[in-house]
Amino acid sequence: MQIKGFIDTTFLDWDGKVACTVFTPGCNLRCPFCHNHGLVLNPEQYEDVKEEEIFDFLTKHNDFIDGVCITGGEPTLQKGLDKFCERVKKLGIKIKLDTNGTNPTVVRRLLEKDLVDYIAMDIKAPLNEEQYSEVSGVRCEVDKIRESVNLIKNSGVEYEFRTTVVPSLHTFRDIEQISRDIKGAKLYVLQKFQPRFAMDRGLRNSRVLSDDDMKKLVKIISCNVDKAFFRGK
Amino acid sequence: MIVSNDSTDAALFVKVSREDVVKWDRKSIVEALLRETTISPELAEKISKEVEETIIKSKIKFITAPLIREVVNGKLIEYGLEEERKQHTRLGLPIYDVDQMLISRNRENANVPHGPEATNLTLAESIKKQYALLKIFPPEIAVAHEKGDFHLHDLGMIDRPYCSGNSLEYVKKFGLSLPNAISISKPAKHPEVLIGQMIKFSAALQGNFAGAIGWDAVNLFFAPYLVGVDNEKLEQLAQMLIFEFAQQSVARGGQSIFSDLNIYWEIPKHFIGVPAIGPGGKFTGNNYEDYIEESQKFAIALFKVYKEGDGLGRPFFFPKPQVHITERLFKTEGYEDFLYLISDVSSDKGNTYYVFDRGETAKISECCRLSFKLEKSDFEDAKTPWKMRYSAMQNVTLNLPRVAYEAGGSDERLFEIITERMELMARAHVYKRNFIKKLLDMKNQGPLSLLSMNRDGEPYYRLHRATFLFGMVGLNELVQYHTGEEMHESNQALKFGLRVIAFMKKEAERLGEKYGLRFVLEQTPAESTAYRMAKLDLEHYRDEALTVVKGIVEKNEIYYTNSTYLNVGVPLSPIERVKKEGMFHPLIEAGSLSHIWIGEARPDPGGIASFVVKTFKNTQNDQIAFSPEFTSCLDCGRTTRGL
Repeated sequence: MQIKGFIDTTFLDWDGKVACTVFTPGCNLRCPFCHNHGLVLNPEQYEDVKEEEIFDFLTKHNDFIDGVCITGGEPTLQKGLDKFCERVKKLGIKIKLDTNGTNPTVVRRLLEKDLVDYIAMDIKAPLNEEQYSEVSGVRCEVDKIRESVNLIKNSGVEYEFRTTVVPSLHTFRDIEQISRDIKGAKLYVLQKFQPRFAMDRGLRNSRVLSDDDMKKLVKIISCNVDKAFFRGK
Repeated sequence: MIVSNDSTDAALFVKVSREDVVKWDRKSIVEALLRETTISPELAEKISKEVEETIIKSKIKFITAPLIREVVNGKLIEYGLEEERKQHTRLGLPIYDVDQMLISRNRENANVPHGPEATNLTLAESIKKQYALLKIFPPEIAVAHEKGDFHLHDLGMIDRPYCSGNSLEYVKKFGLSLPNAISISKPAKHPEVLIGQMIKFSAALQGNFAGAIGWDAVNLFFAPYLVGVDNEKLEQLAQMLIFEFAQQSVARGGQSIFSDLNIYWEIPKHFIGVPAIGPGGKFTGNNYEDYIEESQKFAIALFKVYKEGDGLGRPFFFPKPQVHITERLFKTEGYEDFLYLISDVSSDKGNTYYVFDRGETAKISECCRLSFKLEKSDFEDAKTPWKMRYSAMQNVTLNLPRVAYEAGGSDERLFEIITERMELMARAHVYKRNFIKKLLDMKNQGPLSLLSMNRDGEPYYRLHRATFLFGMVGLNELVQYHTGEEMHESNQALKFGLRVIAFMKKEAERLGEKYGLRFVLEQTPAESTAYRMAKLDLEHYRDEALTVVKGIVEKNEIYYTNSTYLNVGVPLSPIERVKKEGMFHPLIEAGSLSHIWIGEARPDPGGIASFVVKTFKNTQNDQIAFSPEFTSCLDCGRTTRGL
């Protein structure tokens, strides 16, 4: 698997766990608010991290590491993803997958092979072709997104759906609509948009939602999902 | 000075130290020399006449007594009377220095604010430091300190022991009844009053100790006062306790009390079956284990206050909460939620210190890096918990990089030098002990009357239980100079570091037996010492020091790595750090610590809790704390949170 970044210890990326995070290059979406756009647009600027280096660390410290978070980019585009996950699982370490849900086939395969323990799937916009494509910057097949949502909901593994709330792209009603689109989900997390790192320069000066705004939104979505909260300062 | 009869010039006046101006009298010189030194009367006469001639010849009309004394000292040097000159020394400061001090900030101690009380402290300390180096320690020890072979800590507080671990039970049982106090309090009946007495007593203790004032099992010992107290009141009491401690910066030298609160979730094994003391200082008829509910509720209340922070939401620097992580904690109901709460405080404010008591050991942690393992005699003490008073007398820190420079690559020489230095450090401990003993022996009439007060058949300060500390600075640079690699760079380098510390431990034990004192190693909490040593070595061992010193030489922002830490500048996984640094901890009995930097973002408390549990179970690490992003000024040693 191609890996372009490795954080050996983090308390940030997987709640309740001591985790590592690996970053894979490339993405099939072009969300203007993406904060990892270097990995999406010019992954060649980063040096490859050798898998062996990661597995050396994991083998040495699997008495501390609870889990590995695989994020990107979009990890489901990676050819060696299954193999990487298998190796990690063999060490008794759990796996969290971040995905945009555009590859339900890969998600299904990983679930069937019991290779993931937690899935965090981004929901970019209400599940209709027009809005989804606008927010994710490319033409999107919403059916596939919906398929991934259903797969994950019924998988039996822990999961969260999450949305980065961008004031100029999302209205409160949009967020409410998303919560209806994923109705019955166990966990829906809203993330505060960090304009400073946005791919689209035009967004870098946009306003940041206040904690109060975020709390209001959480309240709005709460009736459609089992649990909801927001992340971010 | 008395008015002179035989003075040739009656017009010369002398300004004397008792705020008076008197006429010139040569005999005063003779009297002082005979009183203070071992000089012969004939020579004293001779010197006084020569001094008179010099002064009179100058035709000045006005002179100060200190200046006359210096002129006399000049004569003593001319006669080669070095010992007499030393005996006749006047301690003091140039007016320029005092001027600087009154107007600029104290650079040595980050906890000292700038103000009249602070400068009082600095001035007093500078005189006492001179006194200590001239009078308490023999020249070879004083010179070794001055040259930077090792560092004698708190010389400005030569007349106090270093730090102390205290028991709230003492205050509960005896009230606040200090020697020579103008009013005394009976044992407290209410928790508010107990808080008041605890803090007053802490302030009094801080006037008698140079370092930390630690309090053991605070939540448990408060518990008998908290029966039936509702949650709202409980939180208010927790606020009172923390704010009152935190805001004691009106105390000595305008400093906060260096206070630690030791907190247990479970009932520590050594307090099970121990009769509890309650309101009015009376036994309640129950044992401590009967108060677990109140004890736990109070622990939660305290951490809620730490979580909220001060009036502006900032963290409290003092009192430091030290939570003991033990096997029993994991068998005590509700520990997961408690761990989450204290980890949340780590994530948000950084306060929590996690003290790992593995197996049967229990420690009483004191200042930021000092803890004592409870020994058999301590378990005996635990049955009468008011007697649980411990102290370290003094801390002396060895400059390790210099040892490597002088050894020039030879293992044999390296260990020889460590032995030589530690022998001298051990003797420094003996001198300090003897001086403090002399003061303590004066009992109620002496300056340490508080420490010699006797309410329970023993003086408050139990000299026979005192510990003497050997600290170290720059192990990483010693290893780097000696082996060519820093300790994080190879297992071999790390192993050599371990060998050095194991050797120091053995030497401390050997010397302890030789002198009949309890000598142990400590990780020196000594940012300013790390700077001082690096600076002195850059002067005296420039070529060698340049190869290993950390920081920016051009800007004089330099340091050695603290104690046995790995290089703090390299990005090392927190896991590697707690494992590798933890390998040293079993060798360093008086306490050690690893800092985990957690950066800018607010980490998940659950992740921190998981890390803490694994550090307890999978490493030998003694103590950890998480630090959010902070800024450290290498120039002045001040450390502040945020960037």
